[in-house]
Amino acid sequence: MTPLRFEQLHQHEWDELTSLLAAMRGRKQQTGLLSAEGTSAERVTTLYRKICEHLALARERAYPTYLITRLETLTAEAHQTIYYQRVFGLGALRRMIMEDFPRAARRDLRYVALAAAVFAIPTIVLGVLVYHSPELILSMMSPERAADFDQMYSPTARAVGRVRTADTDWIMFGFYIRNNIGVAFQCFAGGLFAGVGSLLALAYNGADGGAVAGYLTQRGMASTFYSFVATHAAFELTAIVFAGAAGIKIGHALLAPGRRSRTAALMAATDESAIIIYGVIVMLLIAAAIEAFWSSAGWLPPAVKYSVAAVCWTSVIGYLVIQGHRAR
Amino acid sequence: MTGEVLDTVVATETPEGIVLELRPAGLSVRFYAFLLDLVFRLVALNILAVPLSLMGGMGVGVLFIFAFLLEWLYPVAFELTRDGATPGKRVFKLKVVMDNGLPITPAASMARNLLRTADFMPFFYGFGIVSMLLRRDAKRLGDIAAGTLVVHEQPAAQRVPMTDVPPLAPAMPLPPRDQAAVIALAARASTLTSERLDELAALAASVSGDQGHRGPQVTRRVLGVAQWLLGHRA
Repeated sequence: MTPLRFEQLHQHEWDELTSLLAAMRGRKQQTGLLSAEGTSAERVTTLYRKICEHLALARERAYPTYLITRLETLTAEAHQTIYYQRVFGLGALRRMIMEDFPRAARRDLRYVALAAAVFAIPTIVLGVLVYHSPELILSMMSPERAADFDQMYSPTARAVGRVRTADTDWIMFGFYIRNNIGVAFQCFAGGLFAGVGSLLALAYNGADGGAVAGYLTQRGMASTFYSFVATHAAFELTAIVFAGAAGIKIGHALLAPGRRSRTAALMAATDESAIIIYGVIVMLLIAAAIEAFWSSAGWLPPAVKYSVAAVCWTSVIGYLVIQGHRAR
Repeated sequence: MTGEVLDTVVATETPEGIVLELRPAGLSVRFYAFLLDLVFRLVALNILAVPLSLMGGMGVGVLFIFAFLLEWLYPVAFELTRDGATPGKRVFKLKVVMDNGLPITPAASMARNLLRTADFMPFFYGFGIVSMLLRRDAKRLGDIAAGTLVVHEQPAAQRVPMTDVPPLAPAMPLPPRDQAAVIALAARASTLTSERLDELAALAASVSGDQGHRGPQVTRRVLGVAQWLLGHRA
């Protein structure tokens, strides 16, 4: 069969698929794409299989390039459209929060434990060190920043946490989101350097927090500081630890890929970590909201803040331990 | 064949048994797309800043949130649309797909964009650039981990022009690869100078039974064979 004859015979099918695909792409915002017009969806898959066959024939018979390219473009486009999946929606979000995230957290318990240790040990060590010799804070940060902390957590401040000027709760909400989620993403991405980046980021952030805590405790501002951080720490610190754990998991896959190739192990670990990162983002959004609108409220007595903090910690840990056990 | 060694095409097989060819996009075109996206993001942020700055503290807070979203989730949001590309990439006809040519999954898009931080190290995408230059498929670190590829969209097909050359039956039976070569020459004829076309046609002169000859007449006969092979008959 000559190329021209082949083209004449099948032209109408190629044109039909092209226009069907164009129609589908035009309605990209609608959900239930394939169910909306069941008949046309069936037609697309039928045509797609046919045209795959045409492409195979055209290649086998070494038909002219323009013909093969045209069929290649068409099959590639149909392939993309047919296998495109929408996985958004409230249902998926609910399942992520109620089942997938706590499950993934338990599955990767050893990485979480390691990340928690790498974060907590520098926190405690630096905390104790700085408490006993406060001048050490200056080897962690500039004098200006230390003085800022002095001012922020002084018991006479109306709103604690940062130096507040005007209606700054919203500013700080935005600031915390940008800052804290950025830190978490760094803890995760550092995993690509054999996990070293994640370990360093965790240890540095732990040490920094520990130094500030030790310093402020020694200066007699324990009450304002701890009542400020206790509540949102339930979400923020756990989220940072989880982000670090996901990074360590990636690093571990690179260092010890097991029976897979290094790239394959890395890809599998990255894919599994994605669910943890979704959870981290949600937790940090909650943390930012609490930190901006609740933790900073200076008029709340510390006792109330500590009680709420206790409830938050219990529910976060309970959520991670209990949720998602039931079989689907 | 040296052509295969030099090319960067990545072949993947679909469940239908068809081999799709993906053409990975290199550093320079991705850099331009990145710059364009950067401009788009800055413009968006500045446009948002005008009304938001009039709203006091809350406006500034919302602006921070938008800055965060534009910084991290702008690529994710656009890669998960049907085009599979940010506006900058779309301008340069690039798209992000999975290694096997399937549309990018949300998890992969998230991973490749968050791991950007690692590519950015030690300064201005240092590791990312080194990785892209060293690899034949031009992946940055985030692409390797997420299993994604940035590819050129298929170029538009180039048709063989209908010329006034009369079709001519080949002087000998031609295997499919040779037929394709003659037709490909005809497809390129209009983009070549006549001297170069004569040279190339001389190489294929045996198909019209003109071995050892060259010149415009031979070229016409070779192109005639191409028309005949395409299916045109006098």
